[in-house]
Amino acid sequence: MPVLELREVTKAFPGVLANDRVSLVLEKGEIVALLGENGAGKSTVMNVVYGLLSPDGGEVLMDGRPARIKSPRQAIDLGIGMVHQHFMLVEPLTVTENIVLGREPGRFGAIDFATARRRVEELSLRYGLKVDPDARIIDLPVGMQQRVEILKALYQGARVLILDEPTAVLTPQEVRELFSVIRSLVDEGLSVVFITHKLEEVMAVADRIIVMRAGRVVGETSPEKTDDVGLARLMVGRDVVLRIEKTTKPTCGDTVLHVEDLRVRSDRGLEAVAGVTFSVCGGEIVAVAGVSGNGQTELVESIVGLRRPLAGTILLKGVDITRADARTSIEAGLSHIPEDRHRRGLILQFDLAENLVLGDHRVPPYAKGPLMRPGQVGAMAATRIADYDIRTPSAGVLAGNLSGGNQQKLVVAREIGRDPELLVAAQPTRGLDVGAIEFVHRQILAARESGKAVLLVSLELEEVLSLADRVLVMYEGRIVKELASGEADAETLGYYMTGGGGEKLSAQELQAPTHGGNA
Amino acid sequence: MLGDIITPDLFASALRMATPLALAAIGGTICERAGVVNIALEGIMLTGAFFGTAMVLLTGSPWLGVIAAVASGAGISAVHAFASINLRSNQVISGTAINLLALGLTGFLMELWYGHPGTTDPIKVLRPIFNFESPGGGAIAEAWRWFDSIVFSHTPIVYLTILIAIVAQVAIHRTKWGLRLRALGEHPRAVDTVGVSVYRGRWVAVLMSGALAGLAGANLTIEQVGSFTENMTNGRGFIALAANIFGRWTPVGSYLASLLFGFADALQIKLQILRGVVSIPPQLFLMLPYLLTVIVLAGVIGRAVAPAAVGEPYEKG
Repeated sequence: MPVLELREVTKAFPGVLANDRVSLVLEKGEIVALLGENGAGKSTVMNVVYGLLSPDGGEVLMDGRPARIKSPRQAIDLGIGMVHQHFMLVEPLTVTENIVLGREPGRFGAIDFATARRRVEELSLRYGLKVDPDARIIDLPVGMQQRVEILKALYQGARVLILDEPTAVLTPQEVRELFSVIRSLVDEGLSVVFITHKLEEVMAVADRIIVMRAGRVVGETSPEKTDDVGLARLMVGRDVVLRIEKTTKPTCGDTVLHVEDLRVRSDRGLEAVAGVTFSVCGGEIVAVAGVSGNGQTELVESIVGLRRPLAGTILLKGVDITRADARTSIEAGLSHIPEDRHRRGLILQFDLAENLVLGDHRVPPYAKGPLMRPGQVGAMAATRIADYDIRTPSAGVLAGNLSGGNQQKLVVAREIGRDPELLVAAQPTRGLDVGAIEFVHRQILAARESGKAVLLVSLELEEVLSLADRVLVMYEGRIVKELASGEADAETLGYYMTGGGGEKLSAQELQAPTHGGNA
Repeated sequence: MLGDIITPDLFASALRMATPLALAAIGGTICERAGVVNIALEGIMLTGAFFGTAMVLLTGSPWLGVIAAVASGAGISAVHAFASINLRSNQVISGTAINLLALGLTGFLMELWYGHPGTTDPIKVLRPIFNFESPGGGAIAEAWRWFDSIVFSHTPIVYLTILIAIVAQVAIHRTKWGLRLRALGEHPRAVDTVGVSVYRGRWVAVLMSGALAGLAGANLTIEQVGSFTENMTNGRGFIALAANIFGRWTPVGSYLASLLFGFADALQIKLQILRGVVSIPPQLFLMLPYLLTVIVLAGVIGRAVAPAAVGEPYEKG
């Protein structure tokens, strides 16, 4: 008998059928991955199970018995726990306080803190989830906070654990730790539902894979019976090219960007970029690869005019933009897809048309003197929304109401649509599902085809290998290796990214201008 | 000269002046810890002061007056709770509306019930609890005079307030109710997802703050002044809000901050005797407690961090 079973669960929101007769079963001691694109209805169906949403039709069975789950409290009482994508932790409170919240031990209204702490320690020991029970949440790294969430569910007596996009905020190291935690939970008899859109995670951790698309279950398989290409096809509903092959050779016209001996300080005052020299020419994609925190963010910020360099020069088509602000850089022909679309890419409270015109809002044809011209802006927005396949009811929708993938398309539409000389793309596919990744990659390649210079900064090796004509490996603020696309593979990149090549490079090799290295 | 200002009565008076501020400030603490801004403390206090007085005038019983003050405070705060929790309206606007409503309502009822504006007839007040004989003369007697004046000269609500501050402090940090209250003001959805009702928790907190501000009103009329005058709270509700912040959203902190403001108020009264000596306009002394509030709020005391979700209406789902 399955622990949890869903029969024809249906849930509609105004204008959208989020879940269309979703049926699935979860056996005891099993890890089921619920795979689907952003907006496929994965979280919705699990929110129904957890009592946060009430279904319009269908039923949920726990241990074979129909369960009417109207609130999280009832879900918890039935043994269902959920770790949400956005943590439900109270930051100023301690680990113990967060875990026992709502079910505090003690009599006459007082909390027995000694007992509470002991129970947290017992759970932590039993499931191998090491955490300091007295630490405040605000002082813990994200991976540790997630452990607290899992412990909270276990404390509440969860036998079924739902994890909603648990890896979205984790570093690769933390992802590996999470997977081993999940396996030990299953060894202890728990059953796990793992919501994700990342193919490699599904292949690594799931016993069974249930694929959802547009609110429906479209297939069920297991890692042995499929591969990532098959999964991607099932998930998106068409063939997805996971790694786009470039059909043309890089053209390399004029030098568009030239960076000479650039030195940049980080927020903490350290020299994050320690003397970097390279060039990018029109019609080629140069990728900066590296482990997060090796100076890539500061490099990008100084090029796009968001951070003033300590020393060095930055030339855009021969114009010195070393100390230019963002507005001057845009006028000089620079476009920037920032690594954090919420913080720097979009104004979530603005509608799509307003977001699309940002940066060009003061120049004709969108402005005439001090006044904006809504007609021109609207016409441009309509064209971009169509060209870049942004799924929205209208251009008047607020950017904050779009899915992550569509938000990123919005940023891409604005930055590439501006027809720049240089496109600086920092982690352009972060948090996107395979369909959206393919789209963004095609747009970046199209920019290259039309003769633009592209500087791509990415933490994803696959992305670097797939798109780049040349790869610059950055380590501790320096470019430690340059590779042509033909000589780069994951192992080589990994070797240099972790500092492996440091000593072998001669001073001469480090100093050498890298312009046109493989042209 | 200095001996005329620094007297036992100065400190006793500070304690008395601090009492209504502290009660309202602790009410504000509880309310804001639950995530609801209560700018209506001023109006609630005024409401409590009026209905408390009216009840004493009606029945002749000060204690029934206190009960009426507490009940009317909780009653008018229910309007704030309904507007800001269930209707999810802006909490500052709702609070301001209650302040205006209380001012109008008490003035209107004054005319309706007593036929004139201004001040009511004097009422029977609560007397100090203790009344000890003063022993003979000498240094011991002098020390006793100080001790008796500061510790034993007070009316019941003054002592009750100290008790409330301590009990509330312990409750917020050591009880289930307190843990949930703290979580409510920081991350209400986290409270909801562990199956505890956000609406109920916030309602209870707002009603408690109303009851405490009502009690503050009772202290003003039934213990201190002995009658009700229109707008007699005179900004105390707002000073209480400042005391809550100064006290870093803790009951004992609120009490101590109120004590500072109360001391400024008591000192201001004492300093009036200097008027004959140096030519300082008396208004300057009257400004003292308010000036202190501005300085405190301007952040001389360092940045205080408010509960993260304070002022944000909570919407399920």
